[in-house]
Amino acid sequence: MKFVEKEIPEGINVTPHNPLLNFAHLLGTVVVLSIVIFVALGYIAEWLASRLSPETEGKIGQMLMHTVSEEIQEDSRIQYIETLLHSLSESEEKIRLPLTVHLIEDEVINAAIMPGGHVLVHTALLEKVESENELVFILAHELGHFQARDSIKSLGRSLVFVTAYLTLGISSFLEWGGFGDVVPMTEQLAGLHYSRQQEKTADIYALSKMIKRYGHAGHSLDFFERLDKESEKSKQLEKVSQYFSTHPSNPSRINYLNKTAAKNGWNMAGETTSAKWLQCPDMKECKLATD
Amino acid sequence: MDGLFEILIVFILLVIGYFSGNYLEKRHYKSIRERERQTRHIPIITFGAKQFMLENTQNTELFIGSVVVSVDYFKRISASLRNLVGGRIMVYETLLDRGRREALLRLKENAIDWGATQIINVRLETSAIGGRSGNNRGLGSIEVIAYGTGIK
Repeated sequence: MKFVEKEIPEGINVTPHNPLLNFAHLLGTVVVLSIVIFVALGYIAEWLASRLSPETEGKIGQMLMHTVSEEIQEDSRIQYIETLLHSLSESEEKIRLPLTVHLIEDEVINAAIMPGGHVLVHTALLEKVESENELVFILAHELGHFQARDSIKSLGRSLVFVTAYLTLGISSFLEWGGFGDVVPMTEQLAGLHYSRQQEKTADIYALSKMIKRYGHAGHSLDFFERLDKESEKSKQLEKVSQYFSTHPSNPSRINYLNKTAAKNGWNMAGETTSAKWLQCPDMKECKLATD
Repeated sequence: MDGLFEILIVFILLVIGYFSGNYLEKRHYKSIRERERQTRHIPIITFGAKQFMLENTQNTELFIGSVVVSVDYFKRISASLRNLVGGRIMVYETLLDRGRREALLRLKENAIDWGATQIINVRLETSAIGGRSGNNRGLGSIEVIAYGTGIK
């Protein structure tokens, strides 16, 4: 048989396709699917988290507290805040875990509740607060989150996110570019974010606590109004914005609370009760008069 | 902000990968087609053990052609997404196609230089290289070896 040269055929082993379209299609599928899975898992985790026993929650809280640094151990303000906090929870309702106050040396104005009943208060917040009413409102707001198990729910949600991030291979996909950094994700885990509805519920809870304690809710929102004005001046924008990033924006919040109070016939005017430490500038030296 | 920065870097790498990969691939294919046309007069035949060897054979020699090719970042990411959902990894098809044809061409060109009139019993082998020790996650490079016997 004689060998005859033939034209060489092309494209037998290569599927003709548009790589960009193919990529867009793939990316779209993966993103949509992961969002669906994340949301579904988030709800499941939230549901499971809300059924955690208080003991387990306490253990988780302890673990999380190890990550908190700059905690001030000996300070008379802690005792004062604890007294305030306990006075809020003395009523008929049951608090599932003993609440503890942790004072954190931090120039960011913020307060937070961690799972396990750990209330974190930043020193900058205490410097900004001008009356007891303001402080009690903030504490009651955090207590509201605790009672609604918001912090543990949010933790469950973050856990799903971090686990998914680590296992679904998205991290390895980023690793090729050299971004195997899990740190931003763990930050996500520690930084608790609540939904707007959760914030609203906590706010109303706090307001009702104010009524119970003082008979009126006057001046409890002064703090937010002041922060608002300051953020307008934008001098301390960076410090203030931190608070806004984890809490709803102030004007809408104040409006909403005033409306709720009017609906429930709550008194929004009254005398301020001054915070104890305000009478002595050097707080560490100050001896608190017990109630 | 950090996340945004990372995404931006990934995006830039994707763009660079896409354009450079496309350019290099086109150039390679052009060269492959040209050289295939130049070398197609030499037949490649497979002989079984029970067949008689060709008559008038003066000399035989083993020839090896090997090549290492890699895909670009764009294709790698595209394939890693494909890994999540399953299906044919079409972006890797050109990689293997180019590897096989280039290896075969190198073998043929070598044999022609030596004076071969035909090449018999050509075999192709592929191995994956690259990736970190122990895992092949970073995989995107292959080596293709073609070997066969030149006859003149």
